[in-house]
Amino acid sequence: MADHETTVTGQRNKRVIHEGPKNHYLTFALSIILTLLAFVAVSAGFSPTFTIVFIVTLAFVQALFQLVVWMHLKDRGHTHPIWGLVLGFTVALTCIAMAVWWIWW
Amino acid sequence: MAHTHTVKRYTGLMDWLTTVDHKKIAILYLVAGGFFFVIGGLEALLIRLQLMKPMNDLVDASTFNQLLTMHGTTMIFFAAMPLVFAFMNAVVPLQIGARDVAFPFLNALGFWLFFFGGIMLNTSWFLHGAPNAGWTAYAPLSTQFSGIGVDFYVLGLQISGIGTLIGGINFMVTVINMRAPGMTFMRLPMFTWASFIASTLILFAFPALTVGLVLLMFDRLFGANFFDISAGGNSILWQHFFWIFGHPEVYILVLPAFGIISEVISTFSSKRLFGYSAMVFATVAIGFLAFMVWAHHMFTVGMGPVANALFSIATMLIAVPTGIKIFNWLFTLWGGQIRFTTASLFAIGFIPSFVIGGMTGVMVASPPADFQFHDSYFVVAHFHYTIVGGVVLGLLAGLHYWWPKIFGRMLNEKLGKLTFWTFFIGFHLTFFVQHFIGLMGMPRRVYTFLPGQELDTLNLISTIGAILMGIGTIFLVVNVIVSSMKGKDAPADPWDGRTLEWAIASPAPEYNFKQLPLVRGYDALFKEKMDGRSELTPAEPLGPIHMPSPTILPLIMSIGLFIAGYGFMYQNNYVAVGGILVTFICMIIRSLKDDHGFHIEVEELQDKGAKA
Amino acid sequence: MSHGELTGNQLPAEPEKATLEGRNKILGFWFFLGGEMVLFGSLFATFIGLRNQIADGPAPQELINLTMTAVMTLVLLTSSLTSVMAIQAMHRKDTAKMYLWFIVTFLLGLTFLILEIIEFVEYVHHGHKFTTSAYSSAFYTLVGFHGAHVTFGLGWLLTLLIPFGRKGLTVTTAPKMYVFGLYWHFVDVVWVFVFTIVYLMGKVG
Repeated sequence: MADHETTVTGQRNKRVIHEGPKNHYLTFALSIILTLLAFVAVSAGFSPTFTIVFIVTLAFVQALFQLVVWMHLKDRGHTHPIWGLVLGFTVALTCIAMAVWWIWW
Repeated sequence: MAHTHTVKRYTGLMDWLTTVDHKKIAILYLVAGGFFFVIGGLEALLIRLQLMKPMNDLVDASTFNQLLTMHGTTMIFFAAMPLVFAFMNAVVPLQIGARDVAFPFLNALGFWLFFFGGIMLNTSWFLHGAPNAGWTAYAPLSTQFSGIGVDFYVLGLQISGIGTLIGGINFMVTVINMRAPGMTFMRLPMFTWASFIASTLILFAFPALTVGLVLLMFDRLFGANFFDISAGGNSILWQHFFWIFGHPEVYILVLPAFGIISEVISTFSSKRLFGYSAMVFATVAIGFLAFMVWAHHMFTVGMGPVANALFSIATMLIAVPTGIKIFNWLFTLWGGQIRFTTASLFAIGFIPSFVIGGMTGVMVASPPADFQFHDSYFVVAHFHYTIVGGVVLGLLAGLHYWWPKIFGRMLNEKLGKLTFWTFFIGFHLTFFVQHFIGLMGMPRRVYTFLPGQELDTLNLISTIGAILMGIGTIFLVVNVIVSSMKGKDAPADPWDGRTLEWAIASPAPEYNFKQLPLVRGYDALFKEKMDGRSELTPAEPLGPIHMPSPTILPLIMSIGLFIAGYGFMYQNNYVAVGGILVTFICMIIRSLKDDHGFHIEVEELQDKGAKA
Repeated sequence: MSHGELTGNQLPAEPEKATLEGRNKILGFWFFLGGEMVLFGSLFATFIGLRNQIADGPAPQELINLTMTAVMTLVLLTSSLTSVMAIQAMHRKDTAKMYLWFIVTFLLGLTFLILEIIEFVEYVHHGHKFTTSAYSSAFYTLVGFHGAHVTFGLGWLLTLLIPFGRKGLTVTTAPKMYVFGLYWHFVDVVWVFVFTIVYLMGKVG
């Protein structure tokens, strides 16, 4: 435990989070809650547009938590992975924009 | 620690089949890419010979469609891309002061996957016919109105595409993690920067092609309905995916060529590259914008004026960073002590040629104008000016520049200049007139044309130019053969170079650097020379060097997928599953077997030093 | 490796990052995940573009069983948590616990896969086949690709766990486990979007 706290020279690592299961359990609980919310929103019968925007937002929030906490993106030394994901996401979004707007029947 | 494992070193053919050494893999890419370049060139010659006069019957329409499809596909995927990878492999690890790439095993795998993909595609000529739907394979032509040839296209590209993706990731990690001490990002040579950005483009562009090819394969082989309008599919979806990949693809080709030009111009002007930071940012900008312009290939599809306008503006925007690069090359030449070698001739010839291509690019970037240009020879002229005038001239410059470092021999300068002039003049003859052929209304991808439309002379001139290009290529081959008969007598630094690769022997020793160098500035070797040093400052003491072991697994894995490909296209499940199983078993073996590599001991290093 | 295989308490704090090879593997894998984002993004794009083209097949509203989807989601999410627990145990050098958590991960992943196969068989009986319509082709390709990733992951986990007893936790095996963890989380993140866009949006219309 406490592996991320200080380096040999005593410098504090940036964004120190105490290594331990707490944050991970929290993320799990949050993921369950967000998932539940999404399922509930669909059964609740709001307007389709609102429901879709709502559940997609929930999905993004959950994905972000899982990336940042479970996959350690918050920890130091992850600049390049973050760039890799951001750029990948941008291109993926481009593909989705294409499919939503620029194909026709 | 005692090394109780035996060092497995192969010789001869096995050495080449099992190598994981980036320098040997570079040579493999060079030879294979060169081979496919000749095939693509022969296909081009046949096309031009058929079009040399109206109503010609050298080849029939069906064969012509196969020729034009294979010419495009082979040249882009199996000639240009591997040649780019050849130089990336040969040069990038040396320029950053590393001993190899990040993933030597995957490097070899990437090569063999590309190779077998290319072989598979070309066996179509001898089996049931080559693909004939164009290198762009638009649906529904490629889904419902083509023979089995298109399956060769789909599977050949899918297999080699995996290889390219692997290569892209390899170079990204290499440049980020394996730079020598002192080699910051802003001290990287331009070729390395360009390779890094091109590798990033590969990472994000190839998955879109992968998906497109999967959809196409599922439609053709498994009855899916992605592109079948009668079942609710949409043919335009293919075009989108193809070009979301396809446009970045041409930047994947041209950015390393730009990198080569920067290196060659700087070296042969004996002058530091003008505006290095601007060059870096321009390359990044071009790379980013490359993903935003794909629909400029689809102006006439009917997306509407708003979409067309947006893509038009984005496309024209790319001209800005590209123009910055052109000016910086000119400013590098200006005031420099210019030496005219074959390499620098190709680089200087590149500048006006690529600018013409870029200029016609801005012309076709305007949707109203493009409604006239689209599918005519004007477009053919445009992209050949950028690809041949840009990418190929750049690659040829790099070839003559780095040949001594790769092979330890100099190419003959006289033959080289002969190559340059015949190829350069032939290139302009072939494609300049095609602008006018297009403006006069001749469509592309037509196997013949009627007389009396004033197209005869221009087409004839274009064909003569193509023949001249062929002759230029023959001169190059002769040069290669002549030089290979000499001994390995090239000096370490034949051109008074400025970057790290010229600090080590020609050809580079197996371990690259005896001691990893300490980099003290941009143009790292030049910095040492200016400080009066004849050698690089070492960053580590002399010690045993750990090298990765050779392995036959990449070859076998690629053969497995090669076999599986035939299984899929001939609808034979046993062959398909069997092939995939071979690949998976190799993956499991690789995972289970520990490869500790081997060491080159200090005594060996000192021996080699003494011998040299 | 010239510095031998450190084990037990000799292992550095983050063993997966202790060697250049390990760091290369992790960075390379992150970039691979970036490419996978584009891959799945393209599949999602295809699905979103074609999701209303049901031809004469059943509509998603009548087809989709949200209870099944909820159970599958819970199973996969938990398996992602257990894989985190495994890596945490690895960082504590508790190899026995790591092994245990990974086995639980495997079983949960297998459960997910079985449920998905049952679901697909059910759909086919309802007339929702791969060749039925553009929607169905896109459905099976997207969800199927995710399922294929789960399957591959399970196979991968087996090849990591089976020889683990002999090799133990070293600076060579640690990056492999860590990279698997990244992969498994990614597969779960993709599922978050699959259940949202395919199943929930399918029900909403």
